[in-house]
Amino acid sequence: MNALPPEIPMPSLPVSTSRHPVAVWPWPITLGLLTIFGLLSALLGQHGVWLALSWAALSIPLIVTVICLIRAWRRPSSKGGLS
Amino acid sequence: MTTRTLRRWFVVHKWTSLICTLFLLIVCVTGLPLLFSKQIWDTFVGDDDPPYEILPPGTPNASLDVIVEKARALYPGQIITSVNPDDDEPAVLVSMAPSWQALKDDENYPDRHSGHWIKFDARTARVLEQSRPATEPKEPRTWTGIIMSICNRLHVSLFAYLPGRLFLGLMGGVFVASLVSGMVLYGRFMKRLPFGSVRRDRASRLTWLDLHNLLGAATLVWATVVGFTGLVNELQTPLFGLWRVTDVRQILKPYANLPVPSQDHLSSVQAAFDTAARAAPGNEVTGLSFPGASFGSPVHYVLWTRGATPLRARLYTPVLVDARTGELTGAYPMPWYLRFLEISRPLHFGDYGGMPLRILWALLDVVVIGVLVSGLVLWAGKRKIATDARLRALGYDLDDVDDVPALVESTR
Repeated sequence: MNALPPEIPMPSLPVSTSRHPVAVWPWPITLGLLTIFGLLSALLGQHGVWLALSWAALSIPLIVTVICLIRAWRRPSSKGGLS
Repeated sequence: MTTRTLRRWFVVHKWTSLICTLFLLIVCVTGLPLLFSKQIWDTFVGDDDPPYEILPPGTPNASLDVIVEKARALYPGQIITSVNPDDDEPAVLVSMAPSWQALKDDENYPDRHSGHWIKFDARTARVLEQSRPATEPKEPRTWTGIIMSICNRLHVSLFAYLPGRLFLGLMGGVFVASLVSGMVLYGRFMKRLPFGSVRRDRASRLTWLDLHNLLGAATLVWATVVGFTGLVNELQTPLFGLWRVTDVRQILKPYANLPVPSQDHLSSVQAAFDTAARAAPGNEVTGLSFPGASFGSPVHYVLWTRGATPLRARLYTPVLVDARTGELTGAYPMPWYLRFLEISRPLHFGDYGGMPLRILWALLDVVVIGVLVSGLVLWAGKRKIATDARLRALGYDLDDVDDVPALVESTR
């Protein structure tokens, strides 16, 4: 996912940097869009499949958070993170 | 982004967050029990409604006029203030009082309640239940009642009525500013870190910072929506007041100085419900208040109708029916700002998607508490360090090539 180009233009980075820059925004944007979809699908649909989709969409940010935390605490020497 | 702009964003984020964090913690914590208040009441207090008679499905409802007559017969000489059919039970709630003046006087005596209610079975027009008469000793308060009421009042107004509401609304605005500035800092800070990194092998401060960033990024949109809709909700008193002094005053102008007619000579309540249903097609009528009610007209029944589709169910349209003649005066859709308020309520309460949505709301709320606490830890940890040193300690590159002039300038 982080291999994608960033959706929001970032200020130019020095080319000589030793650490590799990563795309900052794909994950937060995805989680944000899922949240918006989850909030609206239950509000506009309010029936069956739209409710289920809303619950699923709003769960994903929580699930992603938990996965990141578990990764970080399982492997204390590494940085964790999703890459 | 130059170092100077970054520094400004950092200061904005620090101060907006510091200002609202304590209050945000209060509303986040008190909001949790409020999310589940119905379940809490049912579990700890129990449903005290009397059982309903089992009638064949499709039994028609009794005429509201019959119910109104029965209520009058029970309390001769008193006035009826409103008639409200229940949303999901076959019941009609009739509110009464000795007089409009008595209700008005109640405002000056906090422990006097001259209003009371009677609950009728909507189909048989039998009395199901009545409010406790004012002469009887008060029902002992339950712990559930006390705790829920404290949570509610803290959450809505910090026990400070309208000033408290407006203050919390302001805090909602500051919170949104802190979220926006936090997002800018996140974009700058995460340039070298993959999403979700939590560094645990270095300073514990970095662990807290990574946690703050991860939890904040995951809940950013939810927190913005709930924060902003909370702000809108806190503005409901001034917004309704604005409507009252503009549109409502204009509509009621021709009637404002008329006397309130005696309730013996009013037109049919049932007919008023039917008229209102025709005046607002596609809407259901949820209640009626009698002429003379505060903020109403002295000669009109005010009927509240709401849409039948899921989204429009939150949009109320008042209908005025002349109580002297039974004729329709008009239906008055609310102005845009009250429609906006009504749409923003469910997005704050999370009450529109069943129990799973409430649980998700609670979990997201807990994550936001995590963001607030980690932010506090970060602030408390290194309060004494100057901003630049702190930014460097947090891993910002202040010596980026494009930033050098700004840095030189700032060190002069």
